[in-house]
Amino acid sequence: MNKTILMPIVVLVVLGGLLAIPKFVDSPYALHMMILLFMSVMMGQSWNILGGYAGQHSVGHAAYFGVGAYTTMMLMHTKQIAPWYGVWAGIALVVVVALIIGSICFRLRGPYFVLASIAVAEILRLSAINLTTLTNGAEGILATELPAFKIGGNIITDFATKVPFYYIGLFLVALTIAVTYVVQHSKLGYFFQAIREDQDAAHSLGISISLYKNIALVISAVLTSLAGSFYGIYVGFVDPPTVLGLDVSVQIMLICIIGGMGTLWGPVLGSLVLVPLSEALRSNMITEALVKVGMVNAESKIGIFLKENLSHAHVLLYGILVVVVILFMPDGLMGFIKKLAKRRKQEAV
Amino acid sequence: MAVFMQSLISGILIGGVYALIGIGLTLIFGVMRVINFAHGDILMVGMYLTYIIFTMLGIDPFVSVLITFPLMFLFGGFLQKVFINRVLNALAQNQILLTIGLGLIMSNTVMLIFTSDYKILTTTYSSSTIQVGGGVSVSTPLLISFLITSAITAALYWFLLKTDTGQAIRATAQDRDAAQLMGINVKRMSIIAFGLGAALAGTAGALISPTYYIFPQVGGVFTLKAFVITVLGGMGSVVGATLGGILIGVTESMSAVYISSGWKDVIVFVLFLLVLLFKPSGLMGKSRT
Repeated sequence: MNKTILMPIVVLVVLGGLLAIPKFVDSPYALHMMILLFMSVMMGQSWNILGGYAGQHSVGHAAYFGVGAYTTMMLMHTKQIAPWYGVWAGIALVVVVALIIGSICFRLRGPYFVLASIAVAEILRLSAINLTTLTNGAEGILATELPAFKIGGNIITDFATKVPFYYIGLFLVALTIAVTYVVQHSKLGYFFQAIREDQDAAHSLGISISLYKNIALVISAVLTSLAGSFYGIYVGFVDPPTVLGLDVSVQIMLICIIGGMGTLWGPVLGSLVLVPLSEALRSNMITEALVKVGMVNAESKIGIFLKENLSHAHVLLYGILVVVVILFMPDGLMGFIKKLAKRRKQEAV
Repeated sequence: MAVFMQSLISGILIGGVYALIGIGLTLIFGVMRVINFAHGDILMVGMYLTYIIFTMLGIDPFVSVLITFPLMFLFGGFLQKVFINRVLNALAQNQILLTIGLGLIMSNTVMLIFTSDYKILTTTYSSSTIQVGGGVSVSTPLLISFLITSAITAALYWFLLKTDTGQAIRATAQDRDAAQLMGINVKRMSIIAFGLGAALAGTAGALISPTYYIFPQVGGVFTLKAFVITVLGGMGSVVGATLGGILIGVTESMSAVYISSGWKDVIVFVLFLLVLLFKPSGLMGKSRT
């Protein structure tokens, strides 16, 4: 079948399946996993626009994630403003922050850009710790009581279960992927890729480098901020290290790099690998599995050690994955799959 | 005035250790054009090594530098030969990601072994001070570590300027291809440079272990500081990194006293951005090509 017909059908079928999941699955844990997956795809995909398509490898995306999460949470906590209004304030603020960061960092290239992006995110993290009156400092903001969502007096949902979060997440993921798709197939996307491939050549062809880099940054930052706000509302708690830390920036990048930068489905693939793996480690599933298979005795020293410590090791797994991916498949899983497919085609011929 | 002198002196003393960290990073960058994001984590490994040597063998942290330095040199050489060497011609972001990944592996492996509890290495002189006069006192461990730092830095300058290997390293940093054409074993120089960088970072870790908390995530702060120092001094410049280290040490201790200790890191990062914007080649750096 033609690829141009097949693709939309597959997407529609998957979307339909995802819409139907809460009707059949009522395990909160399964829904929680799906929500984490959505969040991860959103984060990776938003980074993809700037890092993958425009080739500007920001290691400071926690800045936008954190500003979005903090703004929404602060407004809800102190001013009782419902998050679906607060999100817009977060987006507005993130656009301002992004333009300031852009005007500073885009004058720099390569490693210098990376360093500057980290510095800006660190300044924001340290500010969140020190501006205690605004952000409650290192203690963070706890706000789990969500007001009911009403349209014209009718309560649509009161957020008592995970189902509304599931649909919000699904909507946001669809939106993020749609934005990426539109960008990829528009003139904008070609400009981004031209800048990525050769900045000087793009410039000599009359593409305004700083304008298009800033556009890529703003799109990417707004989507990241949405993901951050969603995270804040869903978890009900934000503090400086979990939303503004360097780890967050690295995680955002990682999703994209493991999946494949500059491809529409790379971040989805990356999330499908990373989220279940780190969740399995976090919830000690791997140790239990090892015990069940009989490879490790639960009472032995190793068994106890693994049980106590392996749940902290999901970041170690990130590290190993990065090293393996960079050394053996620098184009990510997407690139790896494409290469395999190409080889198979050649063999068939 | 006494407060000013006090913060100036302690700034210079801690700056000496920062210089050591910065020199390591700048050496690696100079020879390989790789920004080592695992630098702080290597320092953290040095701290834990010192901690182990201290608790198991009872060797004083300042004496154990003699063991830490060669061990960390081998560790650095291993990292270069097995991992970094493979990405020397790769894209800058891939090199950065690889070192970030290596750093994550180091900090989390240490966390698995030692848990994330804060460890303190208490020596008999950990909290003692020496009166200098004029109401100014100096922390003994900081003073000793500054003296050791100065000795190491002097030895390093001698090595780089006077020995054949040192000159070969500098030649490789200046022009990798030309150095290779002159018959210099560039690969070996890379291993030595990374080994030296790691040894210096590890030594810095050993020197600060009597005065700092030891925990697996301690590296991140120092990685960022090392960048600030090397960019300030000029990427690849050893003299620049020495000056940059002292300058950052003084800036930190001054802003801790006169502004607030919570904001001192913010000030360092703002300074960093200003340097990146207005003089990206740094204090001693030549303009980039």
